[in-house]
Amino acid sequence: MKDLIRLLGLFRPYSNWILGGIGLSIIVMLSNIGLLAMSGWFITAMALSGLGNQMINYFTPAASIRGLAILRFTGRYIERLVTHEATFRLLSQLRVWFYEHLEPLAPARLQYYRGGDLLSRIRADIDTLDNFYLRVLAPTIAAAVSIALALGFMAFFSWQVALINLGGLVLAGIALPLLAQRLGRIPGAQAVAIRADLRSAATDAVRGMGELYIYQASARQAEKIRRLSENLIVPQRRQAHINGLSASLTSLATQFSVWLAVLVAIPLVLRHQLSGPDLAMIALFVLASFETVSALPVAFQTLGETLAAARRIFEIIDTPPAVTEPLEEAPPPEHFDIGISKLHMRYRDNEQWALEDVNLTIPEKQRLGIVGATGSGKTSLVNVLLRFWDYQEGEIHIGGHSLRDYRGETVRRWCAVVSQQTHLFNTSIRQNLLLANPDANEEDLLDALRKAHIFDEIMAMPAGLDTFVGETGARLSGGQARRIAIARAFLKNAPILLLDEPTEGLDPASEHAVLQALETLTRERTSILITHRPQALRYVDELVLISKGRIKDHGKTEDILRRNQDVLKLVRIE
Amino acid sequence: MATPSAPMPRSTGKALNAWLASHVKQVRAPLSIAVAAGAVNGLLLVLQAWLLAMVISAVAIHGRGLGDVWHWLIGLIGVFLGRSLLVAVIDAAAFEAAARVKLDLRRRLYAHIQALGPAWTKTQRSGEIANTVVDGIEAMDNYYAAYLPQTALAVFIPLAILAFVFPADWVSGLIMLITAPLIPFFMILIGKGAERLNQRQWRKLARMSAHFFDVIEGLTTLKLFNASRYEAQIVAEISDEYRRSTMAVLRVAFLSSLVLEFLATVSVAMVAIFIGFRLYYGDMHFLPGFFVLLLAPEFYLPLRTMGTQYHARMEAIGAAEQIVKILNAPVAEKHAGTTRLPMDTPLEIRFDHVGFAYENGRPVLEDIDFSFQQGERIALVGPSGAGKSTLTHLLLGFMKPGHGRILACGIDLRDVDEASWLNEIAWLPQRPTLFHGSVLDNIRLSRPQADLDAVREAARLANADDFIQRLPHGYDTLVGDRGQGLSGGEIQRIALARAFLKNARLVVLDEATASLDPETEALITESIERLAQDRAMLAVAHRLDTVRRANRILVMEAGHIVEQGSHEELLTAGGVYARMNALYRGEAA
Repeated sequence: MKDLIRLLGLFRPYSNWILGGIGLSIIVMLSNIGLLAMSGWFITAMALSGLGNQMINYFTPAASIRGLAILRFTGRYIERLVTHEATFRLLSQLRVWFYEHLEPLAPARLQYYRGGDLLSRIRADIDTLDNFYLRVLAPTIAAAVSIALALGFMAFFSWQVALINLGGLVLAGIALPLLAQRLGRIPGAQAVAIRADLRSAATDAVRGMGELYIYQASARQAEKIRRLSENLIVPQRRQAHINGLSASLTSLATQFSVWLAVLVAIPLVLRHQLSGPDLAMIALFVLASFETVSALPVAFQTLGETLAAARRIFEIIDTPPAVTEPLEEAPPPEHFDIGISKLHMRYRDNEQWALEDVNLTIPEKQRLGIVGATGSGKTSLVNVLLRFWDYQEGEIHIGGHSLRDYRGETVRRWCAVVSQQTHLFNTSIRQNLLLANPDANEEDLLDALRKAHIFDEIMAMPAGLDTFVGETGARLSGGQARRIAIARAFLKNAPILLLDEPTEGLDPASEHAVLQALETLTRERTSILITHRPQALRYVDELVLISKGRIKDHGKTEDILRRNQDVLKLVRIE
Repeated sequence: MATPSAPMPRSTGKALNAWLASHVKQVRAPLSIAVAAGAVNGLLLVLQAWLLAMVISAVAIHGRGLGDVWHWLIGLIGVFLGRSLLVAVIDAAAFEAAARVKLDLRRRLYAHIQALGPAWTKTQRSGEIANTVVDGIEAMDNYYAAYLPQTALAVFIPLAILAFVFPADWVSGLIMLITAPLIPFFMILIGKGAERLNQRQWRKLARMSAHFFDVIEGLTTLKLFNASRYEAQIVAEISDEYRRSTMAVLRVAFLSSLVLEFLATVSVAMVAIFIGFRLYYGDMHFLPGFFVLLLAPEFYLPLRTMGTQYHARMEAIGAAEQIVKILNAPVAEKHAGTTRLPMDTPLEIRFDHVGFAYENGRPVLEDIDFSFQQGERIALVGPSGAGKSTLTHLLLGFMKPGHGRILACGIDLRDVDEASWLNEIAWLPQRPTLFHGSVLDNIRLSRPQADLDAVREAARLANADDFIQRLPHGYDTLVGDRGQGLSGGEIQRIALARAFLKNARLVVLDEATASLDPETEALITESIERLAQDRAMLAVAHRLDTVRRANRILVMEAGHIVEQGSHEELLTAGGVYARMNALYRGEAA
């Protein structure tokens, strides 16, 4: 409920559109009931006066039938436009809101959600929330109001009929859908579980096709998939039967409401409490009234999904940021040497230290290399330096000031980063470069590309700088993407350089080119270079071996390479 | 508003629709039951309207009481019960039809993927293929369970109603007869124009969503450049732009529903007014008039629901596109060799001038010529893209050589019985797959009957027994996709145990590129040493430390073997390998 209220709160700026859409759907539903009811009344009254039993002014009813018909179809058209306009406005609002709240959390707090494949989950959840208004909110409110108005009208003729009608609507619109949902919960959960097993089996099979073949297990995996596929049908069949039963009971509820209403109204006609035309009107009125609840089963079903999605989204948004920013910043450092003393850092309380008792000094414009196994703490060090994560004990100084005395944004202005994770956006190469320095002119861009040894390749592309980078940089090779990231670092022209395996996965020719580029880039900057590549180590003055968060060895590069066998084990050839 | 699916040209859509329809013949029986039940339901609807009209007419016009209409009211109850029963029958029968198609299609699809084999799957995104196998097939559901039966009924029910309306009142019948075909006509007319606009809009929506999620994915990078806050404004601008252009399209697209709604309501109004005035002038009787009025909205109802079923069709066509794409991928011809390998002589492998190309004219391997035998260790080194993996894949039988032959004990692999060859090989890929299941089942992949003792012995040889014992449920711990997370080093050791248990004479190994901590590294190296004992081993190596232990090193460049020999020999030769080694030592290049 709390989530629901919070969700509705997000929609407040567009309440006019929202209410307008709901108002229009009420008009559309009521005009249809009115049209049918009035038609029934009209022809009966006309028949009676044709038989000479009573007089009739046929202009008003004939005109209102036409009027209601026009109201119905034009209303429907406008209603669809307004509800969709509202939906799109909400969609935009929702995305901006979500983005603004997510931004301070990246990347530290989002790391926790990695296991559940954060992005695809967010995607599905946002899509679900996009549909909240159209599928849940509008139909339920419109149904409630329409029913109240329609039955209020009916009560003038016969409160008994109004009550019968209400009973039928509650049955068809609320009780039966809820019952079906309840009965369907167990087979629904079974189907979800089996489907997840099936998905695992299929993913395993595709990913491990080679192993299945070599280890002669293909037939067994195929059999497993066939069996799961058959098992899946069982709960699905149960669900189909429940839905069928619910549909048939709903149609029964509709028909019996009409039947009972007629049954109750007949004596009233004989007692002249209702007229003949009223009876015809009642039959058609009750029949038509069930349109108001037709969207409710879907609404109930979607409501559960929506609330679950909203809960997950709020849960992400409500995480406190990993780093608290200082209220007042220290003056900018005069030189950019980095001093790390007794640094301890971990990602969660009671977890192992990711960095333990790390002591390092990097004088300004010096180059430090770091070697270590996957998960040894190299990347954690970069994350701490960038103020993406906080540290628990010890201290980091830049130019004599504590890192904690600067805002994250300020620190990141001094650092240029090249890493494997550097993201290229789905836009032109130019836009990707301008990200680093929005004021750069054409010559700056070209110069950066030249320094990153990618100029020729980009100029050879048909659109040059305006070449579109495909979805997550798909049209560029890994090496090209990496060198664009390096060009960005040149453009940013920051005093500190953090290079996290910059040549990983490059072919020898591009690696050579990139290293040459890095030689120039690092020369005048305080640089940290994380690498496993022997060629890259020649460019660093000092080398550190890090293992399980601790510094194991530290010294001049040649000395370390000569004396430490562990370092040699970590260094890779292709 | 659902997740956008890619639009496709009309012709493709038609072909896929034909493909979907081609599966109808195997489910003709349940589908016929569903349609027949729907048709009877339609006839009962007419009967229901007639009975209700009798009641109303008797009471409202002729002033009769309950006693006179009792039998009709009882009859109505019978009709109600019959109809509700039929509704349930339609759903159940339609479900069986869809279920049968899904089962059959999934079996065929997976069989085809298996026939395509590892050479094909490694070029695909595994998640996408798995989605097609699971969700793609499930998306067929509504096509067979709803769209097909509803389409048949959308033709039958209006015709049946017309057959009863005409004798009762030909004027109303004429109104319906004229308006009904206009509905599909206008929907197609407007639909065609709107479809083109719509496709553009789908692409836009897809692009907008892609942009939004691209931004979220790259949030860290944006923050690095302090550009992340500005991006919120762009997200807002793009979605606003999208809203404006989409609404422009929808104003046209919704016209089709406007026409539908217009024809349906105006016809009902016209029927009512025409009947009303003829009743007034005594030109017709009340009973047929009221009967027709009750049927009028029902006449248009199936045509309206067609609009919603259309989505089921589009969804199925979208999924069918992926399925057909896989089914159309050509399967390489299988040479069914019959010769069994001799067990009494040591295994000897020979590459006889082997060449291979994925595409004509662009060879990946050329003139590969070497041999090795049981007891020997071969290391393949060279830059990525040199053809190392392709070479191992040829040996594993994922692909057949384009030129030359691979011989095992002097017999061309093409002539060797497949099972007899597979019995000889164990393989450790760079990233071994853990299948969803227990550690035990993962190790005994090749020998599902192996007992726990044999499995533990294999795990001990792989230096894996210790950490497996420490897992929450030991050998029964669930691993894989949704199970206990294992580190890279642990996964490798499980894969090694797999190889030990299989006890094959040839081991093909693709060394992992991720760096492990020195202790784990040592455990794995030790276990590989053990595995190499008395076996033939071909290893793609990434660490010089590993390379040095090989009896012979093959240095590859651009699809050729450029050097071979032992570590010492190659160093003395002073070629490519010697240069790589010098870099490694931190000496000048």
